[in-house]
Amino acid sequence: MATANTIDPAGALERLGAELPNLLAARARTAEAVAARRAALADLPLDPRASVVLFGSWGRRELTRRSDDDWALLVDGAARDGVEPEPEVLAAALGDGSRGPGRSGVFGGRIFGDDLLSRIGLDADSNTNLTRRMLLMLESQPVAGDDVHRRCWEQVLDGYLEDADRPYRPPRFFLNDLIRYWRTICVDFVGKEREGSEKWGIRNAKLRTSRKVLFAAGLVPLLQTHRLDREERRAYLAAQLAAPATDRLAAAFLDCGVRDAGVRALGAYDRWLAVLDDPDRRGELESLTKETAHESAVFRDVRRHATELHRGLLVLLFDTELLPHVREHGIF
Amino acid sequence: MVPALLAESGVVSAHHPLGASTGYMSDLRGDWPAMVAEALATSPFAAELAALSESELPGLEAYLAAGPELPFGYLTVHAPVKHLRMPEAELVRRLSRLAPLVDGIVVHPDAMDDPRAYRALGSALVLENMDARKTTGRTVAELAPYFAVLPEAGFCLDVAHVLSIDATMETGERLLDAFAGRLRHLHVSSVDGRCRHVPLTVEHETRFAELLRRCPDVPWILEAPLP
Repeated sequence: MATANTIDPAGALERLGAELPNLLAARARTAEAVAARRAALADLPLDPRASVVLFGSWGRRELTRRSDDDWALLVDGAARDGVEPEPEVLAAALGDGSRGPGRSGVFGGRIFGDDLLSRIGLDADSNTNLTRRMLLMLESQPVAGDDVHRRCWEQVLDGYLEDADRPYRPPRFFLNDLIRYWRTICVDFVGKEREGSEKWGIRNAKLRTSRKVLFAAGLVPLLQTHRLDREERRAYLAAQLAAPATDRLAAAFLDCGVRDAGVRALGAYDRWLAVLDDPDRRGELESLTKETAHESAVFRDVRRHATELHRGLLVLLFDTELLPHVREHGIF
Repeated sequence: MVPALLAESGVVSAHHPLGASTGYMSDLRGDWPAMVAEALATSPFAAELAALSESELPGLEAYLAAGPELPFGYLTVHAPVKHLRMPEAELVRRLSRLAPLVDGIVVHPDAMDDPRAYRALGSALVLENMDARKTTGRTVAELAPYFAVLPEAGFCLDVAHVLSIDATMETGERLLDAFAGRLRHLHVSSVDGRCRHVPLTVEHETRFAELLRRCPDVPWILEAPLP
């Protein structure tokens, strides 16, 4: 169906016509930083079947001045020893240890492609494995070994599409894994909250904004495949998921005829990025607990931005051509 | 025969989130729990607590200060626009105390003596477009100077006010073109010949339809009960 090709994410943010100074500045900052990391790694010995990949705000092209460096050495194939470089060598080459990966162990080491591909579902698909697979598909940015990154990415995509026989239907396996991931994030948020309220404010704010954009920008292209025959689906998803999340959403708002709602949703997201990029306001969010958040004007502002984003995304899903597909595939 | 303008009825009642303004509940005036209960009967998702006369403000302050458990996902206060006697600085100070308790404070531009004073409300401030009786705040050109000095302010589009100055509703299109990114909610009703908010007519709902279609994501607050 020719209409599928009209949903082109390239340059969609600009085509939306909204005032998005912080998003555009973050994109420029990301491009510069990616180039710098590529240069820093240029002379580092790299296994021919490995790729250095950055995740999170790097993949969304939303780098702020205090973004974390969530990196991993992605290795094509099964787990094995002797893959160069060693993680500590790579960490040193990437620099700035103060912004390195968190303590969760999800990033900051090697990830083997076979684990992502062969452990979908069941006990072996740990939270860590699920997170790595989803972030690879939705927000990853290689800075060395690009061809390996692409190959691993395509293997996972093909794994998801393997059983998706029905034309003009979203690929249910991929869709279920994505929805499962989003719900896992939400449940884990409360799990962490019950372990302690450290950084509750910033974690809550990110769940309402960046994490929601990550999920929605995966969900919407999957639902949009209802327009596609089986043979068209792979190329479509590959093109969509290679674009930044905010481009995918901007393209969808335009394509579904709800531009104004898109202007407001992404405008609100732009204001959230301004908060993240401001050391004082970000610092305040980091200091807030569940008990103190309601006293913070910064948190109230972020909550307002998040609500505007949320409402726009609901319009995209429930007030456009996507509604029947959300109804058919989004719940059961 | 095909009518030139097909009637569009039910667009407003089907919207989500819909909410009620307490401003039209004149028989309950001053009884905030009763007005909130009536607003809840319209919708638990959104509401506007309207202290349109300055004399209503203390009661609203006391009601909100008591910390009532309200279910509304979007709750705003309409600042006084009538019988204003207190110094503007005091009004802004009192509104600023309400701001953390709600999602927005709606202020009429023509009620501001010094717009800069309202910066204290930050992004909680919401400016509303005015009706034909007013001399400012009605159009893009008249609202732009207010937003220039209040860059964090949101926008409340009153579709009935648009109708009072422009039967074609083109002014509303221009307001959305200019301030779409600021839009927080709508005020929806019909107006009579004296610019009083009255229940929505099918004719006016049809006239508003194009404008309403551009605002599916924001709460629509009824300034008169649905017929």
